[in-house]
Amino acid sequence: MKHHKKIPPKLADRFLSWFCKGELLEEIQGDLHEYYEELVDKPKWKRNLLYWFHVLNFLRPFAIKKSRSYNSDHSAMLRHNFVISIRKLKRNKTYTAINVFGLTVGIACVIVIFILVRYHLSFDTFHTNSERIYRVITELHQEDINYVRGVPSPLGEAIRSDFTFAEEVAMVTFLNDRLISIPSFEGEKKFKETIVFAEPAFFNILNFPLVRGNKNTILKEPNTAIVTERIAKKYFGEEEPIGQTIQIDNKLNLIITGILKDLPINTDRQQEIYIPYSGIKDHSPWLDHKAWWFSVNQFRQCFVLPKSDVSLVEIDEALSAISEKYYDERNSKIFQFKLQHLSDIHFNPDLGGYIERKNLWALAFIGFFMIITSCVNFINLATAQALGRSREIGVKKVLGGLRGQLFWQFITETTLISALAIGLAVGLAYFALPFVNQLFDTRLGIDLLRDTYLLTFLSMLLFVVIFFSGSYPGLMLAGFKPVRALKSNLTQKHIGGFSLRRGLIIVQFAISQLLLIGAIVIANQMRYTQQADMGFEKEAVIMLPLHGDKTSKKSILHTRFSRIAGVEQVTFCDAAPASEFTPNTNIRVDSRAEDENFSIHYRTGDQNYVPLFGLQIVEGRNLHPSDTIREYLINEATVKRLGIISNQDAIGKKIFINGKKGTIVGVVKDFHFRSFHETIDPLCITTWSDTYVNCAVKINLTNLKSTLEALEKNWNEVYPDQIYEYDFLDERIARFYEQDNIMLWLIQVFAAIAIVIGCLGLYGLVSFMIAHKTKEVGVRKVLGASIKSILWIFGKEFTRLLIIAFIVAAPFGWWVMNSWLENFAYRIEIGTNTFAIALVVTFLVAIVTVGYHAIKAALANPTQCLRNE
Amino acid sequence: MGKQYIGEFEELILLLIVMLEEEAYGLAIRKALKEHADRTVTIGAVHGTVNRLEKKGFIESTLGGATESRGGRRKRIFTITASGKKALHRSRDVKVNLWNLIPDLAINKL
Repeated sequence: MKHHKKIPPKLADRFLSWFCKGELLEEIQGDLHEYYEELVDKPKWKRNLLYWFHVLNFLRPFAIKKSRSYNSDHSAMLRHNFVISIRKLKRNKTYTAINVFGLTVGIACVIVIFILVRYHLSFDTFHTNSERIYRVITELHQEDINYVRGVPSPLGEAIRSDFTFAEEVAMVTFLNDRLISIPSFEGEKKFKETIVFAEPAFFNILNFPLVRGNKNTILKEPNTAIVTERIAKKYFGEEEPIGQTIQIDNKLNLIITGILKDLPINTDRQQEIYIPYSGIKDHSPWLDHKAWWFSVNQFRQCFVLPKSDVSLVEIDEALSAISEKYYDERNSKIFQFKLQHLSDIHFNPDLGGYIERKNLWALAFIGFFMIITSCVNFINLATAQALGRSREIGVKKVLGGLRGQLFWQFITETTLISALAIGLAVGLAYFALPFVNQLFDTRLGIDLLRDTYLLTFLSMLLFVVIFFSGSYPGLMLAGFKPVRALKSNLTQKHIGGFSLRRGLIIVQFAISQLLLIGAIVIANQMRYTQQADMGFEKEAVIMLPLHGDKTSKKSILHTRFSRIAGVEQVTFCDAAPASEFTPNTNIRVDSRAEDENFSIHYRTGDQNYVPLFGLQIVEGRNLHPSDTIREYLINEATVKRLGIISNQDAIGKKIFINGKKGTIVGVVKDFHFRSFHETIDPLCITTWSDTYVNCAVKINLTNLKSTLEALEKNWNEVYPDQIYEYDFLDERIARFYEQDNIMLWLIQVFAAIAIVIGCLGLYGLVSFMIAHKTKEVGVRKVLGASIKSILWIFGKEFTRLLIIAFIVAAPFGWWVMNSWLENFAYRIEIGTNTFAIALVVTFLVAIVTVGYHAIKAALANPTQCLRNE
Repeated sequence: MGKQYIGEFEELILLLIVMLEEEAYGLAIRKALKEHADRTVTIGAVHGTVNRLEKKGFIESTLGGATESRGGRRKRIFTITASGKKALHRSRDVKVNLWNLIPDLAINKL
C-alpha cells in the first residue's frame, strides 16, 4: 500500500496550515488527506483540483485563525503605543521637528497642486449636457494648417437650415474691452467690460441660470441686455437693476431685462454682459455680413448641442458638406469645419486654451516627486534613529513582544507624525493659496468641511504616507534579533540596508537636480525671450488703446501729443509689431491667376509706424501717408514664400491682400511679430486708418513722470468720454509668456522646496553617521590622521551619491526640457552650463549641510570620545 | 436557552452522529450523508456544522485513533450530549404533532 501512497499538493497544505486555527488543523488536515486517498482512481489533476477546492472551502469564519494577540486589552496596548510614541517624539525634538517640517512642506505642495489640477480639470464640467456640447472651429488647410476658434458668420444659419443634427445652435460674438457707461448716472461712471452678442439658444446649450427675468424672452428683443449679479451690483449698487439703461461705446443703449446668477469660477466663458445677437449690426456692422463666408474671426464662435442620437461621424460629414456647398472647389479644401468638444476648450493651445493638459501632468508629477522626497526623508531619519532604540526593542522582545506589536507601535508613531504634518500642511496650504491665486488669477480656497474630494484625497495621502514611510522602518525595527539588540553592538550593517538609504538619498538628489535643471532651462529661455532682439524697438514705447474711431480726433491727439516735451514720436496702428492677436488673410499677386497657397498676416499703421518701432527697410521705401490701403510693405518671409528671387524684384508689384489692391513699396527685415513660440510667417504692413485702435508713443525716459502726466491730461481733453489706459510695450510682450513664467515660478519654488527637504534628510543621515563614527574618528586622530582626511571620510560618501544622482537626473532632465523647448520656434540650446550649475548648486548645498557636523566631529578632541569604553 | 432550536442540516448531522457511534468523525459523517440522505456537501461544510453544534452544546468530542491514510493524524470523534438528544426529540415531537394535526385529506391533496 505504502508504495503508491499519494501526497496531496503541498502548497494547498501549506496554505491550510497558514490560515487554519491550530486546534482544528489536525482533524481537518486528517480528513482532507483521507479524502485525498479515496480519490485514488481519479486522474491526478482532478484529484488535486478537488483537494484545492475543499481546502479553499475551509475559508470559513470558524476555521480561520484569529490574529494572534495574546493581549486581550487592546485599548491598553493602543494607549501604551501612543504614550511611548509621544515620549519618543518629545525626547528627540530635532528629529521630530525635521520630520514634521519635511513632511509638512511636501504635503502642503501636494495639496496646492491637487487643488490647482482639480480646478483646471473641472472647467466647464457643470453644464447639464456637458458631455455633448461642442464648439465649431475652422481649420484653414493651406501649406500648413491654421486653427481658428471662430467661424464665418453665416455658418450658424447654414447648420440650422440645412441639417437636422443639431438640437441647438448658437452664434456668439465676443468683443473685448468695450466702454460701458450709464447715462442715467450723474457724472463719471465708466467701465471696461467684455460684451457678448449671443443668440438665445446660447443659454439652452450652456447652463448659466437666470435669477431674474424671463428665460423665454431674453436675448430676443433688440436693445436689451442681461448682466450678472456682480455687474448689476457694481453698476447700480443697491438700486433695482432691471429696467436700467447701459450704453456701449457711447452709441448703443441697452435696457437690462434679466440678471444672470454669478458665473462659476471654473468656466472659460467669463463674460458678464449679454446682448441679443441682432445688436451686432447696430454696434459693429462690419462684423455682420450675412454672406461673408471668407472671414473667420476668433471672436465669432458657434456652439452646438447635437441631438443625443446623432453620431459624430454624421456631424463631420454634415460639416464637410457645408464646405462643399458654400465654397468653390479650391476654397472648400481650405475652409474645413470641425467640432471641438467642450472639455477640450480649456486645454487646447492651438485654439486659445488656457493651459495645456501636459502642464497639469507635469505639475502632478512634481507633486508626486515632492511626496517621494518627503517620505524618503522620513525613512532615512527613522532608520537612522532606530539604532538608538535597539535597547527598547530588545527588552520588549525579551519580555515577549511580538513582531506585529512592535511594527504597530512604530506605525502609531508614524501616524502621529504624519497626522500632525497633514494638519500643519493644510494650514500652510491655506496661507499659500492667496499667493497661488494671485499668480494664476484664480479664486481658489480650501473648504475642508464641504470638499469631500479634498478630504478623500487627504485621507488617502495620509494612508500612503504612513505606510510608505512607516512600514520599512517598522519592519526593520521589529526584525531586530533581541540578543544582538540588547548587547548594543548594533552597527549600520545590522540595521539593514544602509545601501537602501543610500539609494533613497540618490533619489532625493536626483529629484532636486531634475527640478533645478528644469528651473535653469526655463529661466534661460525666458531671459532669452525678453532680451533677444525681436527685430524692432520695444523699449520706451507706450501703447494707448483707442476706442473713438473718428480720424479727426486722432489727428488732434497726434498734434497734442507731439507737442509734449518728452514725446519723440507718435503713431497710430492696429497693434504693435509683436502682438498676441494677428489677423491673417489671403494674398494674390496681380499677375497670377490664383490666391497664393499660404495666408499672410497683416498690420496696419501710419507712416510713422516703421520709424517709431525701428523696423529696418531692406529694400524700397516707407509707406506714404494715406487713410486707405494703397501701398504695402512686406517682410522678407513673404518675398520668399511668393517665390520672388530678390527683394528688389518685389518692389512695384501689385498685390491683393484681403481683396484690397496695393503696390509693394518696400521690404522690411523679418521681425518677430508674435511670441517666440511661433515662427516668422509672411506679414504685410499697410495704411488703413479705420482699423487703428492703438496709439503708440515713443518717449524719452528721462522725464517719465511728467511725460506720463501730460499724456493723460491731453488724452482726457481729447476723449472726455473714454477711459485712459496705457501700458509699456515691453510689458505687453512679456505677457506673451505668462504661462511660461508661471511655470518657471512654480518650478523654482518646488525645486527650492525639494532641495530643502533633501537637505533635512541629509542632515539627519549625516548626524547619525557621525554619531556612530566618533570612535573611529577618535582612533584615527590618535593615530595621526589629519582633519582633512577625516572630513574626506564623510565627504567622499556624499560626493559619490551626488554624482550617481546626477548621472540619473541629467539625461532625464535633458530629455524633458528639450521637449518643453520644442514649444518654442526660437529657443536656446541646453548647454553644459545648465548641468554644471545644477551639479554645483546641489553639491554646495550638500557641503553646507554635511559640513557643520563633519567639521565638529573632525575637530573633537579624541580623548572625549575614546574615554568611555 | 435560546439555542435549543436546530436547523434541518444540523438535525441530519446530529442523527448521523448518533447513528455512526464510535465512527462519527468529519469525513465519515460526510460519507453517511451521501449514502443515507443523498446529499453531497464539502468537507468544510460538515466541519463548520459540527463546530457550531459543539459550541451550542449538542455534541462533545474526543480525539480518537490515528490511521495511516491520515498521515498519522488523529480523528475527532463526536458524541451526542443530553441536550443534543433533547433537541432531537423536541424537533421530532413538534413535527409529529404537526403531522397529526393535519387531516389525511389535506395530505392526500398535496
